[in-house]
Amino acid sequence: MAGRQVAIGGAGFSAHASKRSDVNMPELVHEAVEDCLKNANCDINSIDSIVFGNMPSFEGVNYPELWMTDEIGARNKPLLRVTTGGTTGGSIGIAGYYNVTAGLPGIDTVLVIGFEQQSCGDTSIGLASVAYAEVSAYTKFGWSMEKNSKFFGAGAAIGIASYQAINYIKRSGATEEDLARVVVQNRHNAAKTWWTHLKMPDLTIEEILDTPYISYPLRYGMVTPASDGACAMLFTTEEKAKDFTDVPVYVNGVSSVSNENAAMGYAGSGTGQLDPCEQIGAVESAKLAYSQAGISFPEKEIDYIEVYSPFPNQELQWLERLGLFEENTAHLRYRDGTTAPNGELPVNCSGGVNSTNAIGASGLERIAESALQIMGKASNQVPRTVHTAIGHSWGGTINLVTLMVMSDQQKRKWKGGE
Amino acid sequence: MGKKLSAKSPATKPVVKQEMKQKPARQQATQASKKEGTMERVGIVGYCQIKPSLDLQMDRYEAAFKAVRGALDSANLKRKDLTSVISATNDYYDGRTISNCFTVEPSGSYLKDESKVEMDGAYAVLYGMMRVLSGNHKLVAVWGGSMASGFPYEVTTLLTTDPTFDRTKELLNIMTAGGFQMRAYMEKFGISAEDIANIAVKNRKNAANNEFALPESQDADITVEKVLESGVLSSPVTELMYSRPCDGMACVLLAPEKQALKITNSPVWITGVGYSQEQYYLGERDLSKSLSMENAAKMAFKTAGITNPKKEIDVAELFEHFAHEELILSNAIGISEPGSQSEIPVNPSGGAMSGNVLCATGLVRIIECAKQIKNEAKDHQISGAKRALASGQIGFCAQNNILYVLEGGEK
Repeated sequence: MAGRQVAIGGAGFSAHASKRSDVNMPELVHEAVEDCLKNANCDINSIDSIVFGNMPSFEGVNYPELWMTDEIGARNKPLLRVTTGGTTGGSIGIAGYYNVTAGLPGIDTVLVIGFEQQSCGDTSIGLASVAYAEVSAYTKFGWSMEKNSKFFGAGAAIGIASYQAINYIKRSGATEEDLARVVVQNRHNAAKTWWTHLKMPDLTIEEILDTPYISYPLRYGMVTPASDGACAMLFTTEEKAKDFTDVPVYVNGVSSVSNENAAMGYAGSGTGQLDPCEQIGAVESAKLAYSQAGISFPEKEIDYIEVYSPFPNQELQWLERLGLFEENTAHLRYRDGTTAPNGELPVNCSGGVNSTNAIGASGLERIAESALQIMGKASNQVPRTVHTAIGHSWGGTINLVTLMVMSDQQKRKWKGGE
Repeated sequence: MGKKLSAKSPATKPVVKQEMKQKPARQQATQASKKEGTMERVGIVGYCQIKPSLDLQMDRYEAAFKAVRGALDSANLKRKDLTSVISATNDYYDGRTISNCFTVEPSGSYLKDESKVEMDGAYAVLYGMMRVLSGNHKLVAVWGGSMASGFPYEVTTLLTTDPTFDRTKELLNIMTAGGFQMRAYMEKFGISAEDIANIAVKNRKNAANNEFALPESQDADITVEKVLESGVLSSPVTELMYSRPCDGMACVLLAPEKQALKITNSPVWITGVGYSQEQYYLGERDLSKSLSMENAAKMAFKTAGITNPKKEIDVAELFEHFAHEELILSNAIGISEPGSQSEIPVNPSGGAMSGNVLCATGLVRIIECAKQIKNEAKDHQISGAKRALASGQIGFCAQNNILYVLEGGEK
């Protein structure tokens, strides 16, 4: 039993901004769906099924895909909802792949949609609910509410990221300037991509180092924004892909490996003792996806990378864990320009999550931008030809890592499975 | 034993099943290699249910652990044999966002290819099945469930509504939607509340024979009067017509054909699946029927190569949120005439009424079908069940439906 070869037919985005108060949630998602269908030269009748996902608790709507049925074209169509927190975008991309490769009769072309309208809710409250269940326990043990609120501040994304950053800096000897350099590259790239949120073409390292700390060593100028936006992608079979695009992008490896729930060590689960920048899950995920795609030397065979890095230290850390740079050397590659759009191994030419973060869409945008680079249709297209690219995302309590390997060639060999 | 009890079920017609037995040719044809337009079959090689309760004396992690471990034990497998784990939970029901990140260790997904389907468990089985069919995975655990004792279900359904126009008025919720649906069905086909109450009576009597039913739902002596006289939830729906949410967990193991036959001599095969969604606004829908289930059934029967469900299906386990939904869904599937009960046994386990564990109810329907096919259903066994239907749903008035065709088969 082996699945069908899957190809990407197109991708579409809504415009991203801090507050898209000109549209409501269904209208925002509809923008991305329209854009995707337009880019793939087709209409909703070409779509056989839909995969949908977002971060559930951020806008306060449970099962939003039920409410926005008509805006996403899901009327009388099969629909599957997949959500895994920050990785939702990556997970729905992978679910789109599985929808096609499974070969269920009548399901060839799948529309994958991810969105977030964070201005409709409060992201920090949403993230704090990861820890809500502990609140009652902690107050029982005599914690004051003041202590609890600090705990939430540390427990949200910035808290975990600062643990990671400190560990990474200690390991690699990267400096705050190195972190700022990553941000500058991302925001400059974002300025050249039409749909992004924080477009800052003239940002300098000094300007970033001039902003206050949010949580050491991460400064205000380094952190990801909270965006409103949506992304849609079209996954289809090898045969049908030619109807949608001149250069189909083939999906050759997917993985979503979860590490232990290290940050909390809750209810006897996990040790709570892990180095948060060690990321065994990412290493295993990379191993799995690369083996499926037949990639033995990722640093040589991969031409373009989109990693999910709301915070700059994570970008450095992921590039190492995914096997693209030697341990503790990623910041040096940013110094010598390897990762710039015209460098040897361009990273995040869309500006990455550091410039735009509509959470449920972010992971899918990584896949979409990588695919567009292979197609040659990206806004900030790299000068070198991209043959193989990866789209990555992470989430949960920094424990789940998804990875998709895409190429302009069909899968060369297939390991694992039957 | 099985015969006696199947005769008790009001919907049982033994005649139909005798006809089935005389048609071995058709069954062999299904087991032959994959035909054009159908799908490769996926094996269910193990399953486990945690008995539902209104207040389960364990936390969700313990329940998830017991479900997954129980399923692995039932197939004599170990955690290392798993290649992928799919969960079905809902962040609103669990009261925390990214609820799956806390179940990594208890559900056995540590360093496994993991994902979560935030719908009914039956849809998680669909994703698990797709992973098996892809050839990437040899053994997928699909688990789901929730703890209704820990959240106000009716309030979380309010969060499913359009936040601008519906939620602010608080007039539309799962109960009122159920009321509209029952009224629409009764008026369309001219049937009475007694006819609907009969379904509740049947399911609650069936639940009395099901060892995994919610104890509060079991009532061997229930009468139509008792159902009609229980408190009104949303006219004309009464309390005993409603599948009350409760605590529980369930897990199934899926494997590709070759692998399944190595694990067990008698896997249950998923031979067909169909799913579909219809529009959100109730005013745009004909609530007396289920368009999404009609589409789902069309797809499922096409994939399984079934042309006459009334003849070819032996038993059905449907997710009915309210008693009347069993009628609407059986009508849509085509196992009954519009406005009337099904001729084949529906919900011998008691259906969702025997324990509506949100995010696991559809999964339990699949497990119940597997039990029927493997002749393991004990007191509610339908004798000679060879091919079964299981359904799952989400949304108001079953806006999104999924239907499975399951079959037995020799090695």
